[in-house]
Amino acid sequence: MVSGNVATPEQNSPVLARATELLAQLGEELAFVEPGKDTGLLPINSLVMDFEELPRENAPEVFNAGLATVRAMLDHILDGVGKFSEDSIRLLTRWHESMSSVLAAWERGGQMPPAPPAWNPSAPGVVAVPAPTLPTLNSQLSTSAASGPSTINQQPSTTPSADEPAIQLNLTDDSELLREFHSESLELLQAIEQGVLRLEESPTDAGTINSIFRAFHTFKGSAGLLHLDALRDLAHDLESLLDGARRSELRITSDVINLILAGADTLKQFATEIGLQLGGVNPGEPIVVPTGLLRRRLKAALPGERSTLNPQLPTTPAPPLPRRADGPSSAAPESPLAAALPGGPSTLNPQLSTTSDATGFVKLDTRKLDSLVDLVGELVIAQSMVVQDPDVQRLPSRNLARCLRQLGRITSELQRTAMSLRMVPIGRMFQKMTRLVRDLAAQQQKQVQLVVDGEETELDRNIVEELSDPLVHMIRNAVDHGIERPSERLASGKPASGTVRLSASHQRGGIVIEARDDGKGLDRERILAKARERNLVKPNASLSEAEIFGLIFAPGFSTAEVVTDVSGRGVGMDVVRRNIEKLRGKVEIQSVPGQGTTFTILLPLTLAIIDGMLVGIGDDRYIIPTLSVRESFRPRPGMVTTVHERGEVVSVRGKLTPVLRLGDHLGTPGRAVDPTEGIIVVVESGDAARGLLVDQLLGKQEVVIKNLGETFRRQELLAGAAILGDGRVGLILDVDTLVKCQRTTNGQRVQ
Amino acid sequence: MNPDSSPPLTGAAKPGRYLTFKLGPESYGLPVLGVREIIRLCPITPVPHMPPYIKGVINLRGKVIPILDLRAKFQLSTGGYGERACIIVVQVGAPPAAVALMGAIVDAVEEVVHLGEAELEPTPDFGGSPDTGYILGMATVHGGVKTLLDLNKVFLEEGLLTLIPAQTQNSKP
Repeated sequence: MVSGNVATPEQNSPVLARATELLAQLGEELAFVEPGKDTGLLPINSLVMDFEELPRENAPEVFNAGLATVRAMLDHILDGVGKFSEDSIRLLTRWHESMSSVLAAWERGGQMPPAPPAWNPSAPGVVAVPAPTLPTLNSQLSTSAASGPSTINQQPSTTPSADEPAIQLNLTDDSELLREFHSESLELLQAIEQGVLRLEESPTDAGTINSIFRAFHTFKGSAGLLHLDALRDLAHDLESLLDGARRSELRITSDVINLILAGADTLKQFATEIGLQLGGVNPGEPIVVPTGLLRRRLKAALPGERSTLNPQLPTTPAPPLPRRADGPSSAAPESPLAAALPGGPSTLNPQLSTTSDATGFVKLDTRKLDSLVDLVGELVIAQSMVVQDPDVQRLPSRNLARCLRQLGRITSELQRTAMSLRMVPIGRMFQKMTRLVRDLAAQQQKQVQLVVDGEETELDRNIVEELSDPLVHMIRNAVDHGIERPSERLASGKPASGTVRLSASHQRGGIVIEARDDGKGLDRERILAKARERNLVKPNASLSEAEIFGLIFAPGFSTAEVVTDVSGRGVGMDVVRRNIEKLRGKVEIQSVPGQGTTFTILLPLTLAIIDGMLVGIGDDRYIIPTLSVRESFRPRPGMVTTVHERGEVVSVRGKLTPVLRLGDHLGTPGRAVDPTEGIIVVVESGDAARGLLVDQLLGKQEVVIKNLGETFRRQELLAGAAILGDGRVGLILDVDTLVKCQRTTNGQRVQ
Repeated sequence: MNPDSSPPLTGAAKPGRYLTFKLGPESYGLPVLGVREIIRLCPITPVPHMPPYIKGVINLRGKVIPILDLRAKFQLSTGGYGERACIIVVQVGAPPAAVALMGAIVDAVEEVVHLGEAELEPTPDFGGSPDTGYILGMATVHGGVKTLLDLNKVFLEEGLLTLIPAQTQNSKP
């Protein structure tokens, strides 16, 4: 599946092959380091030691220079704080890029690139500047960065160049404000970086563009307040760029993304320098980070000014993000699986999509895919079993610890990639709905437009398939019964054309799909009347609004006859709920008379894994799907009362919920005889809720769902099983059954 | 997988290899073809609301498989398990139809024996009242009598089995 990351060198040098391999491992380690932490430091150091042990007599000089440089960088970190900093990470990342290029050139057997100026062993910690001949890196910006003070240890430049404005900190008066600014700006820059990553996936996502815009805006405001003019101006230009994108005047291309990243990097250099000065390094020195060129390029990129773009200005700016591979020559295996088997074009990394050899699709049997995902799930658990094994933990080997950490990273990366393979955008299904809406509207002489949003949202393909029917029902329901005829709409002051809005988004740890119409809303009274007629509710029951709306999901409740009297197919909405619940999701309804109805479907991201709450009862452990859990709490005395000897209820915010002593029900008596010694987990299914009394909460964890098989086919209490972190099996409770099961009396199970 | 040495999993006892094991004082045999592996006793997660002969489930390298307590299934006295107790993992169901792995706790695994025509005897008539369909036949090995079990009937059919052979043999002499 992976197209050889380890190069087969033309010059047939085993040293080169090994070096490429080592560099790839180094890249993996680098991708996971974090500022302020030492995670990965030792593995990186030992990888570099492995590098140094290679027979290097025949290696190009530039390669040896590179090794000396990275050795100096590492020694500097190891001898100093012993932790990574933003700067050292950036230096190492750039070094990694440069070294990739060196190895690539070596492999090609052509002209070796000259050593980047930073690879001068006498100047440890200097920014590694890629050779100008290398196409993937921006020499201009990196060179300016190298000349600037953004280094770990290097004496900051004290002579501002003529055209670059310097900023001067007023450490005596503003130190508190500066401190705030420093930490705030690091947060903002991190948010920007994450935003840009999202933007690469979906360049038109208005939400992301807005969030980056706001971050630059905030940055500008704070910088202005502190008279940090150079920062303020740069942030202003970046803000303008995003504003252009926000108003759809500027298309987000990879060039624009690179510009934003270059801007963020430059701002970060300022911020880092401010942080150093606050920490007492060269206080009061003017800070110079060249911004002139970048600002000119930003201005050139602004919409309406494209014609002024100076062709001589570099167009491939900015060092690529540290976590990304930068092209085919890179040794870092940036999820090759994902590149080879994209879930759809939108998941393609724009940089990869421009290279001819990285794209391509493979058709494969979905069963293989499912079994891969399943196995990877097991691998993750097996890996955590190894790591948590007490015998392993007692071993004093640092090498083992390093290997285990590496294993952990690879497994989690593998899991992410494997899961992503099965993800497909929901867009195609939304498109089908467009057609449906048009046909339905034409049939009924209504004017309806379908607005879709979030088509790029990805979810498990198994879910997408199962989702089709419920969505059709919901859309049909909205057009049939929600949207009024044009005359009615005009009479009630609405535009003649109704709107059905279908949107998908990631929320609450899952996927939220919303179908919203601006029709007349659900008629509570008629639903209630119909439900009474059909004996679905007791005549005198008082129901909350949600409970009334929930009635339309009841089997045998035909919305067509009731809500609108429009003779229709009477699509049973119970099908919708049943299908959604089969997917371990749930449906909620909101409706405002005259304004419309919103159906909200909540779904898990995938069917293979659920978020579970691990509860303990006696010596046993059970998993409750978190999506069904409304709340959990330790009841105070008096909260749990017995009603007419029929069972216990717990009063939560004035609402009474029946209590089920889970231990008694399952036949494994719990320790918490008095409810106040245990925990009540309130679970919901449909409209019903029940408080499950358990001994304790043991934590939350993602589990891979296993089928229990034939032997337990009549076992309705359980939705499946999962392998827990210690290798034992945990059973997943079926919340539906628990909520609906017979009340227990005196702790005796009622069959 | 050699047909010559692979007795059928169901029907009358055929010559071939059998895995013999102990359950209480008695000795039993299962066709080797159905036995996948033998593992040590490991923590079993009990499954609620199941008959007592279903002990629960275990994790067999990522698969969740049910574990039967054969002593309970045969209504023998149940007690603690000794040092030599282990789990025999078998494959039930007939390929290519759905096959599943299941485990059974036994007191001790004895050996794999090759049983020829000479050692095999048909299931004796125990008076006809209890269903002895789960017994493939009997075999005499090293002077001891083994009851050969029908894998699918023992593992897949629900309910308890009456262990007539043991009682009958004990009362015979």
